[in-house]
Amino acid sequence: MGYLDGFKITFGKLFEERVTTEYPKEKREKPDRFHGRHVLNRYEDGMEKCIGCELCAGVCPAKCIYVRGADNPEEAPVSPGERYGFVYEINYLRCIHCDLCVEACPTEAITESKLFEFSFDNRSDAIYTKDELVVDDQGLPQKQPWELWHVGDDLKTSGWMRATASSGNPAYENRVGWSGELGYGVREPERGQQFDESEPQNLDGKDDQD
Amino acid sequence: MTELGIPIPHAPGFIANKTPRIVTSRFDYEDSFTIERYEETGGYQGLRTALSKTPEAVHGEVRDASLLGRGGAGFPAGVKWGFCPPGVWPRYLVVNGDESEPGTYKDRLLMELDPHQLIEGCLIACYAIGLSQCFLYVRGEMAVAQERIAQALNEAYAAGYIGKNILGTELSVDIVLHWGAGAYVVGEETALIESLEGNRGMPRLKPPYFPASIGLYGQPTIVNNVETLSNLPWILSNGSEAFKAIGTETSPGTRMVAVSGHVKRPGVYEIVNGTTTFRDLIYGETMCGGIRNDAALKAFVPGGGSAPWFTADQLDLPFEASQVGPEGSMLGSGAIMVMDETTDIPAAALTLTKFYAHESCGKCVPCREGGTWLEQIMRRVVNGSGTKRDLDLLIEVGETICPGDFPHASNKEKGLSAVPFPYKMTTICFVGPSAFAPVHSALTLFREEFEAKVAGNSDRNYVEVTINA
Amino acid sequence: MPDSQPNAVSVTINGTQIEAEAGELVIAAADRNGVHIPRFCYHERMSSVGMCRMCLVEVDTGRGPMLQPSCMISVTDGMIVDTESDQTKRAQEGILEFLLINHPLDCPVCDKGGECPLQDQTVAYGPGESRFIEEKRHYEKPIPISDLVHLDRERCILCDRCTRFADEVAGDPLIQFTERGNETQVLTFPNEPFSSYFSGNTVQICPVGALTAAPYRFKARPWDLEQVESTCTTCSVGCRVAVQSSRNELVRYLGVDIDPVNHGWLCDKGRFDFEAIKSPNRLETPLIRDPNDKDQLIETTWGAALAASADAIKEARSGKIGVIGGSRLTNEDAYAWAKLAGSVIGTNNVDAQLGDGLPGKVVLGLPGATIDEACSADTVLVIGPDLKEELPILHLRLRGAAKKKKVKVVEITPLQTGVSSYAHRSIVCRSGEAAKTLKSLLTSDDELSQEIRSGSVVVILGRSSLAESALPAIEVASVITEELPKAKFLVALRRGNVRGAIDMGLSPGLLPGRVPLENPNDEIKKIWAKVPTVEGLDTAGMLRAAADGQLDVLILVGADPLVDFPDQDLANRGLRGAKFVVAIDNFPTLSVANADVVLPATAYGEKGGTTTNIEGRVSRLAQLVTSPSAARDDWMIASELAWRLGGDLKFSSMEEIWSEIEQVAPSHNGITLEKIWADETRDGILITETSIQLAIEPSGETPVVDGYGLRLISGRKLYDAGTQTSNCASLSALAQDAELRVNPTELERLGIQDGSEVTIISTKATGVAIAIADESIPRGTAVLPFNNPGIRANLFINSELPVTDIRIETR
Repeated sequence: MGYLDGFKITFGKLFEERVTTEYPKEKREKPDRFHGRHVLNRYEDGMEKCIGCELCAGVCPAKCIYVRGADNPEEAPVSPGERYGFVYEINYLRCIHCDLCVEACPTEAITESKLFEFSFDNRSDAIYTKDELVVDDQGLPQKQPWELWHVGDDLKTSGWMRATASSGNPAYENRVGWSGELGYGVREPERGQQFDESEPQNLDGKDDQD
Repeated sequence: MTELGIPIPHAPGFIANKTPRIVTSRFDYEDSFTIERYEETGGYQGLRTALSKTPEAVHGEVRDASLLGRGGAGFPAGVKWGFCPPGVWPRYLVVNGDESEPGTYKDRLLMELDPHQLIEGCLIACYAIGLSQCFLYVRGEMAVAQERIAQALNEAYAAGYIGKNILGTELSVDIVLHWGAGAYVVGEETALIESLEGNRGMPRLKPPYFPASIGLYGQPTIVNNVETLSNLPWILSNGSEAFKAIGTETSPGTRMVAVSGHVKRPGVYEIVNGTTTFRDLIYGETMCGGIRNDAALKAFVPGGGSAPWFTADQLDLPFEASQVGPEGSMLGSGAIMVMDETTDIPAAALTLTKFYAHESCGKCVPCREGGTWLEQIMRRVVNGSGTKRDLDLLIEVGETICPGDFPHASNKEKGLSAVPFPYKMTTICFVGPSAFAPVHSALTLFREEFEAKVAGNSDRNYVEVTINA
Repeated sequence: MPDSQPNAVSVTINGTQIEAEAGELVIAAADRNGVHIPRFCYHERMSSVGMCRMCLVEVDTGRGPMLQPSCMISVTDGMIVDTESDQTKRAQEGILEFLLINHPLDCPVCDKGGECPLQDQTVAYGPGESRFIEEKRHYEKPIPISDLVHLDRERCILCDRCTRFADEVAGDPLIQFTERGNETQVLTFPNEPFSSYFSGNTVQICPVGALTAAPYRFKARPWDLEQVESTCTTCSVGCRVAVQSSRNELVRYLGVDIDPVNHGWLCDKGRFDFEAIKSPNRLETPLIRDPNDKDQLIETTWGAALAASADAIKEARSGKIGVIGGSRLTNEDAYAWAKLAGSVIGTNNVDAQLGDGLPGKVVLGLPGATIDEACSADTVLVIGPDLKEELPILHLRLRGAAKKKKVKVVEITPLQTGVSSYAHRSIVCRSGEAAKTLKSLLTSDDELSQEIRSGSVVVILGRSSLAESALPAIEVASVITEELPKAKFLVALRRGNVRGAIDMGLSPGLLPGRVPLENPNDEIKKIWAKVPTVEGLDTAGMLRAAADGQLDVLILVGADPLVDFPDQDLANRGLRGAKFVVAIDNFPTLSVANADVVLPATAYGEKGGTTTNIEGRVSRLAQLVTSPSAARDDWMIASELAWRLGGDLKFSSMEEIWSEIEQVAPSHNGITLEKIWADETRDGILITETSIQLAIEPSGETPVVDGYGLRLISGRKLYDAGTQTSNCASLSALAQDAELRVNPTELERLGIQDGSEVTIISTKATGVAIAIADESIPRGTAVLPFNNPGIRANLFINSELPVTDIRIETR
């Protein structure tokens, strides 16, 4: 039949369900563990979770994070404990969104949102500082002028998005092991994070290897 | 007053036996602590005898008597004296009057009721080893003993027994009374020396194993127990042969034991070494007179709170270190604590462990951290919130303090065979293992009582997390 | 460290037979043979305490294997040690579990996290999980125990390292264990902070993050630090340091353990003065006197500033130029300046010292001793400044040796010093009369005199008081060379590289390589365009000449005569009298403000090179960070000036300068760059060779103090108002205000209230200070710190006289 074969495919597809969307008017649901731009979370009482420990900067393979800690001011502490993140910068020209910073964070302070549509016209905009990264009083990311958001895009940015258990023990994966946070409190598990009431079977995690 | 007409200053029925009395001979007098009474009853005769001999002869006499140290370790005093390096001066005698082992109160009575006997013993020791300075370290809590000793020292100074040219001889000795500040670990001789120097009472490093080579102020120092020294006047007056005639060859003489707990007549008894058995002591009519309310014996501690426990199986053992050791315990400081069938064994063990955890000086990690941890687990078990896992954990924690098999007594009923004394330890001194000893004994001999306490509690080996805070 | 003679015994460690010295600890023997035994409390520079029990190993001495702490057991012949047996491993796991049960595990916020022995050893030897479910011990989180150190008792594992250090090494037993058992904690005494000059060392040796240093607190994490090994130049002891930076900013110094010098210790000033280098007060651009407003210095370009300087030098009459300073510089910088002065300008008016030391010829002419020699001699005579204040690590070494009864320290001093506490004999004499006292001591039939004469003697010689001239110290040297001809000297000069600057010829009458001006060596004649022949003036001479209009240009190379020269009046007149003053410095000092041209120089850590310590030990400096904006290395400035003066120094890098030094300086012959950079010369290279013959000029009698006056004694304090210290945020607050200390009977005699303001009158000036009664001050003397906030002693001192007497009156 020759050239008609091509038309056959076209016609065949006409009545199938459409897979393309009219991006950016329409956006598809992102996967649960989608790695977008970061946010710095706060506890329910408004305290910042970041303690300036620099573990994220240490683990970052792209070396795009710059953190400096400082003594928490006694009068108006920024975070619980003695140390807080005094400087926090992420250079998005370098970030590869590998999420290792999120894994490394001992306090669930840094998590990745599902926001990824941002384009800058100068390099300094690409360096997000602490003012831009930290969540607002509702616990939601702050919108930067150069970011494209749709309604609801800014949800799902919390510590829930972490892949491993906060203790590092795989047996505790998908179990809530942290305190509530601003805007989210302590939420029900999401899809893929099904919390199993039964006791974890593999507490020491040693069986994974051999 | 007891049936024998003995005054009761502190412990009811503290002397009721009729066995030979070496160190407690004056306890029957109401004014036993005065110099008049002491001199009247043959006091300071031992010193006079000693001064008529050469120091070497006096040393030899004591060595021949094979007087074993009464502080707990049972090391021959005469041999210990010989450890002083020759030609190093000054050297010191330190009297360990920091008696603080739970259940022990024999030295206190010796100091309260017969201080001159102790002073005479010190002088004889000083003469034999060639010392001119003696320190009497008396436990801080023993106010009466301190007063009586102070008074006795003044009397003895006034009478010319202490000071320059004692009894007209070349011997000059000064005795200094030092009040402790109340720490159990200072009963350990190196810690006592630290405390005497004004430092924190913490045991010193070993080696050197004996302060005889490097002790107080870095000088050779002999540390002797109060009871050990109190034996010397008698030995010198009556000779080493007479001393050896009492008791057995390996442990001659008598010793004082302090009995407490569920007996009819708790108190201090002078028993004959090697021949008197625990049964004689606890059930003897002239001694403790049996268990209160004629109940059954459940367990007893044969040598101070840190000794592994015995049960009725071991009642017929004599007071003889070489027989008690292989049976899994020690004679230690001579404190017998008797527990009858009504005793809550885990609670009793907790009480002892609590003491040792509290008294740890904080130097060695296993004792400082492990002792308190043991106490915390025991507390949990005793108040009923422990789990079966906790019982194993107790042993596991204890094994870090005392690696290897911990000594315990044999028990026919449970089919246990004895693990001989002593234990191995990861600490410098014995305070760490002491915290574990009661727990281990109680768990080994009476595990069912522990299991009853934790029954029904499910095991837990991770921390519960709350889902909705 | 085994004290006994090397007496080899054979020990088996983990199946391998090794040779060890009898008396050596098992842990030390294992270390030397590459077997690591985990430890917390053991520290090789302190006595063992056996507290942590982490170093338990199985030891078999013939009675079967037993768990023994390897830091307490000495090796014996035939001993079998197993550091990896199951028994050992179980003990290690157990101890670590115990240590961790009450440890807060706040590693993410802890400064030690990432370089923490507890972390590392837990990973290597730990149990992997905890069975502890109880509440941990709690204490108030960090409490400041001094201005520099914070203590977190929750993290503390009670290893006794800090408390042992404070007691044994530093001699400031201000921290101790309190409570007992589970409640044991390290604490200071009530109302008595841990104010030790050496407190920073406790932070470094703490095996956990219990002690943290305020200047480093939360500044960086170990994994973002860059590090080089260098030598501290805060004073002239030359301690080995590891310099660490993060993001091109110095954040921390750590002591590096080398045997001949510092044993790993640093003083707090040396440890924390990196703050000055990143101070915002640093000079960043060249400055020049504003032509429109003579009171103003304005920013200019390097070209303009150098041209102005060169023009002034060219216009000056020949020989009427002086170079003051150079002890801040590296050896290479100092050589460049010496070459500029000698070979291009043609003057010998160079002096690295500011009238506060001893003449260069005396320094190089006296037979030298090393610190090790001082710490192993039979007698050490200390006649000089308070070592604890000026050369703290030398004090520490000497104290350690005296405490171990290795040396007998005999001190002759006008007042009690830090040395007095461990001196075998501390002889107090009137300021300026040390030589007389020493002579009568040595010629008496005193037992001490016999003891000194019968053994080896090292003299630590310096100026006991800056209110004295150098004469009394020189007299002491002459008494000693006469009475104790075999005695060796360690000259106690304070400034960082003063010894190196003198070696490089920055001292009148000297040429590089310890060569006298009269007798130049052939190499220098070949390499230098011209070699000066006339001996130049020292700093006092230059200032005097300038004051009299006899000097046209003064070049201050890192020198601040107004503050550091003992006679401020003369310094002032000198700076005003000179036609043109060029200042090369890091900071806008008082003298810089009086200069006509100011050239900013690079500072410590911003340049490499070498430095020479008090013993004559050359060790390397390393560059780690870059300097702020336009600052340049001192040798570059010298080169530039030479070029503008029509000369050529003929080098374009530090390495080339060193190669030239190696050729020109006979004492440095053979010390090639390769040698300096070789790994085995980490300790530095000791240079002992000298061609200087000691010639001590006889001097007059010290005048007797009159009945109304008090003899002024002035010494430096570790923390003072000096440029470096006052630019450190953490240290500047530690400098105490200057107070005049007088014996109470003197105050009573004069009717002055303790703590009241008094007027100090000297031939030079009148000033006001608070008078404090102090029993420790001998009668007839008054003590005023040289440069502490408030009033400077150099206001009153007359450098023309051997000693300065003052009067005090109530206000």
